[in-house]
Amino acid sequence: MPLIRRDSPGASPPRPEGDTIAQLSDANPDTRWKAARVLGKHADAVPALATALQVETSSQVREAIFTSLLLIRSDASARAAAEFVRSEDAALRSGALDALAAMPEVVERILPGLLQDPDSDVRILSCDLARTMPGEVATRLLSGLLQAEAEPNVCGAAVEVLAEVGTAEAIAPLRACKARFPGEAFLGFAIDDAIERAGAGRLDMNG
Amino acid sequence: MADRKRILVIDDARLVRSFYRSILEKEGYEIDEALNGLEALEKLLAVPVDLLIVDINMPKMDGFTFLRTLRGGEAPISVIPALMTSTEAKDSDKDNARAAGANFYMVKPIRADALIEYVNLLAGRRA
Amino acid sequence: MGDREPPSISEDEFARLCDFFYRRTGMIFTEAKRYYIERRVFERMLVTGSATFAQYFARVRMDLDREIEEIVNALTVNETYFYREDHQFHCLTTDLLRLRVAQKAPGETIRIWSVPCSTGEESYSIAMWLLENWPEVDKHDIEILGSDIDTRALAAAREGVYGARALSRLTPDLIERYFEKVGEETWQAAQELRESVAFSPVNLIVNAETRAQGVFDVIFCRNVLIYFNDESRRVAAENLFESLKPGGFICLGHTESMSRISPLFEVRRYADAIVYQKPLEARRG
Repeated sequence: MPLIRRDSPGASPPRPEGDTIAQLSDANPDTRWKAARVLGKHADAVPALATALQVETSSQVREAIFTSLLLIRSDASARAAAEFVRSEDAALRSGALDALAAMPEVVERILPGLLQDPDSDVRILSCDLARTMPGEVATRLLSGLLQAEAEPNVCGAAVEVLAEVGTAEAIAPLRACKARFPGEAFLGFAIDDAIERAGAGRLDMNG
Repeated sequence: MADRKRILVIDDARLVRSFYRSILEKEGYEIDEALNGLEALEKLLAVPVDLLIVDINMPKMDGFTFLRTLRGGEAPISVIPALMTSTEAKDSDKDNARAAGANFYMVKPIRADALIEYVNLLAGRRA
Repeated sequence: MGDREPPSISEDEFARLCDFFYRRTGMIFTEAKRYYIERRVFERMLVTGSATFAQYFARVRMDLDREIEEIVNALTVNETYFYREDHQFHCLTTDLLRLRVAQKAPGETIRIWSVPCSTGEESYSIAMWLLENWPEVDKHDIEILGSDIDTRALAAAREGVYGARALSRLTPDLIERYFEKVGEETWQAAQELRESVAFSPVNLIVNAETRAQGVFDVIFCRNVLIYFNDESRRVAAENLFESLKPGGFICLGHTESMSRISPLFEVRRYADAIVYQKPLEARRG
C-alpha cells in the first residue's frame, strides 16, 4: 500500500504509521518488506520494528527491518538492535551487529555497557563494535576490558580489534593480558600480533 | 603422492584464521580463508575444498545459515565435511550444529593438538 | 616536495591497510602491489594533510570527507569503455537470458538495466552484444535502460559520441557497423543503436527513483556500490532487490562482492561469471 501523496502543497500528509505498522505482520512477505522499509523514516516505529523482528521468519524482511533501525539511528533504535546481540538465533545476532556496526556514533554511547554485560558471548560480540570507533576510543575501552576480563575468548575478541585499530597505548595492557593467561596458545599468538601492529608507525611526513 | 588437501577456514577474526593457518600448513594442508558465510559460498563455487572449519558468529551470514544453505545446495560442495567452532559450550549449540549439517563441533579457544587430530580425521587423512 | 621519494610504509602499517580493505571490500592486496599502493597512499596523505600514516589510516577508517572513495579510486582502474568486463555479457547471452526466458511468459519483454550508466558505454555495449551474440535476439522484445545520478553524463550518453579510447576494445568491423565517424578522433553511435537504449536519471539510494524504473530481468551495477558507505550500500542493495524480478540477476564489478554488501541475493556461478540472483520465492529464515 503506497503512502498517501500530498494533494496540495502546504497540506501535511496523513501519517501512515498505524496502517504501515499493522502491515509488519501481514501474511504476505512482500507487504511486510515494504512496510519495514517505509518505517525507516519513522523514529517512533522502533518498538514496532523490534517486536516484528522477534517473530519475522523471512530473512529478507529481517534485513529490511534492521536497515530501518539503522536509518533511524537513535539511541532507541541502537538499544533495540543491541537486544538481539543476545538472541538465541545466530542470524538475528549477525543482523543486529551489522546494523550496529554502521552507526558508530550512536553505539559509542552504549558500548561501555555492552562490554560489561554479564553474558560473555555479548561481551565477545560487542568487542567487534569497537572496530568502528576512533583508535583512541577503541584502545581505551578494550584496554580497560583486558585488565579485568576473566574469559579468554572475550580477551581474544578484544585483541583482534586492537590488532587493527589499537594505538601504542594498547601495548602495555596487551602484555599484561598475555601474562595473565600463560596457557592460552591462541591468545598468546594473537597478542604478539597485536603488539607488533599497535607499535608500528614509521611513515612520518615530517622526517 | 596424493595432492595436498585443502581447507576453507571461515571466521571473521583474522587472527583466528591466521592461527589455524599456522598450525595446519605445517601439517601439509592448503588453507583458504573467508570472513563470512557469503564469501565462503562464493569461494566454494570457484574452488571446492576437502574440509570446512566454520565459526558461528560472522557478519552478513552466520555459520548456521551458511551450513544450511550449503547443505541444501548442489553436490559436490554440499557434502564437504564441516567442523564447526563456537565460543559456546551449551548442549543446545552442539545440537544446532548437528542439525545445520556440521560433522563435528569444537569449543574455542581451540588447542592445536585437538585441531590437528579432528582435521586429520575429517579431511580423510587418517582412519 | 614533488621530487621526494615517498618514505616507505612499515610492513605492519601496510598490513593494517590491506586487512581493512579485505574486510571492507573483499579485495586482496599483495606484496607485489606494495610499491604501487604506497605511492597512492603517499599522494593521498599529501592531499589530506596527514602527517603520519596513522593519521591517514584514521581518516580512511572513519571515511572522513569520503576518503574511502578517493583511495579506492586511486587504487583501482576506473576507465569506462565499450565491452568492458565482457565476460559478463558473454554470461548474459550464454546463461542468464536463457534462464530468464524459461521463467517468463511468452511475449513478455526482457528488461535489462545498466546503472550507473555513466556516459553510456555499458548500455550500448549490452545492445551491441545482444545483436551480435544472441541468436534469439529477434524473437523477444528487449528493453535496455541506462540510468545515472549525473545528468550531464546522461546527456552525453544520449548523444553517444566517443573517442578512440572508449572504442579500443571493439573490432574495426564493429565500429564500422555501429558507429559513424563525426570527427578526427570521434565517433557517434549510429541512430539505431542510440534508439535502442533509453536513459533516465536515478539515484540508487532513493527508493522512489529506483521503483519508478520498474522491474528487470538483469541488472548491471558495476563499480559503484564499492564506494558507498555501509548505510547507503544496504539501502541501494534493497532498492536493487526490489528492482529485480524474482529469479532475476545482478552483476557487480570484478572487484566487488555481495559478501560485503548484502545477504539478500544468492550467489550463482556460470562458466563466464559469478552473478547474484533474487530468489524465486521469499526465503524462510
